[in-house]
Order: sequence, then C-alpha cells, then structure tokens
Amino acid sequence: MTEELKVAVDRKSNGAILYTRGYINNVGGEEIANRAYELMDEGVRTLLLNLRETKIVNSIGISILIEIIEKMMEKGGRIAFCCLTPVIHKTFQIMGLANYAKIYDSEEAAAAELAL
Amino acid sequence: MTPTAERQMDLTLPMVEDIEIAAARALGNLARELGMSQKSIDEMMHAVIEACINAREHSGCADNRIYLRFIGSAQGDGSRIDVWVTDHGKGFDPDEARSRRPAPGEAHKRGRGLQLIEAHMDEVDISTHRNGGTTIHMVKHEKKS
Repeated sequence: MTEELKVAVDRKSNGAILYTRGYINNVGGEEIANRAYELMDEGVRTLLLNLRETKIVNSIGISILIEIIEKMMEKGGRIAFCCLTPVIHKTFQIMGLANYAKIYDSEEAAAAELAL
Repeated sequence: MTPTAERQMDLTLPMVEDIEIAAARALGNLARELGMSQKSIDEMMHAVIEACINAREHSGCADNRIYLRFIGSAQGDGSRIDVWVTDHGKGFDPDEARSRRPAPGEAHKRGRGLQLIEAHMDEVDISTHRNGGTTIHMVKHEKKS
C-alpha cells in the first residue's frame, strides 16, 4: 500500500511556496526535504509550505520537517506553514514545530507577511 | 432506555510500509457510520497511525502482524469508540518511554508517538509484558451538542 506524496513548487521573487498533496510520512518528508534543499541551494531563504491537500501526517514525517526548519535557520532563512487541518496544527504544536515556524490560516495571510 | 448502535471491526494487518493508513481509514469509516465529528475522526486516525508505527518499528515481533479491534457505540447522548492495537513483540516499559519524552512543544525529532496518542485520545491504557507483546487501548468519547 503506498500513499505517495506529491510536491509542487511555485517560485516567487522573494522565495517559494511548496504545495503538498498526500501523506507526510518518512517518504513524504524526504520528498519535501529534497525539494526544500534544492531551493535552499539555489539561494531561497523564505519557504512557505501549503498543506491544504495534506490531511494526515505522522511523527516521522514531522521530524523531517523539523530538520528542514533547522537547516533553513542555519542559513538565516525562514520557513512557514499554512492551511493546516486543526489536527495537524495540534500535532505540530505537540511536536514543537510551531515554536520554530510560523503557522498561518491562509496562503494570502502568509504571503503578505512573508512578502512572497 | 435509549437504543444503542454498536459496530465492531477486527483487523489483522501485515507490518508493511504505510499499513497504518489502512488501519486509520477503517477506523475513520467506522467513526463516520456512528456520526462522529471530523475533528474526532482525524484525531483517532492520527492516534492509530502512531500506534501502528510504534508496533511496526519497535515491537520486534516474529509474526510481523498488527492486530486491531475497533468497537464503536452510539447512544442518544453521544458516541464512543474503543480501539485496541496489539502486537506480539518484546514489550516495553511505558514509564521509561515517558521519562525520555521531551517537554510538550519542545522540538524533538523522535519519540513523540506515545505523546501524540495521549494528546489525541481521551483515554489511553497500555498493557505490555517483557516478550509478551503490547496492547494499547484507546478511547474517544463524543457528546452530542
């Protein structure tokens, strides 16, 4: 049984938005990490992850998201999230992710504050 | 007396990649039949996912199976689902596992599964024995508003 995660990238003048669709588990987390690290290598320092089409995450996938945040912080950049389900939002708070990345209700609110 | 609708589902699943999704979907379907809210359904699905991952990653069982039982009941004033996730593995010490747990909100890469289960469910009871397997019993209640 596979639940492959799809990631789409929208490059902006001041960063990028990653759109995820599907289950963020270990494989999905690695897929997001690969795309995020490619963007960081290209000089992107502001990343917004729009999880509108992700309804399920697990603790392994979130641990990979935390690694991505740590790498971006090392480079002086920032990562934010938007459009989380209430349960994913709660899970992010328990896992500590919410302490290091801002979470917005909508992409519009995030893009305005991040100047994307 | 208010009539009670009860549903029971038993599953035996192989410990393969992403099998936790099959368990979560089955539980979600049962909860929907009982008319539970999407929030409760999502919380239960995330809890059962973590319980299955713990069994798959840490049980060390020889039969490579996860045994699940879901019992749901709906009465006039609300509904309740009991979930049991069992493995026949080596067992563990829940107190020791909790002692290694980072504080809530502290970023930490691993070791959050049990904490997430307890946060998403109303009641959690762990029965585990050295080389005698582990059963996590979780309960979600929902009152009709």
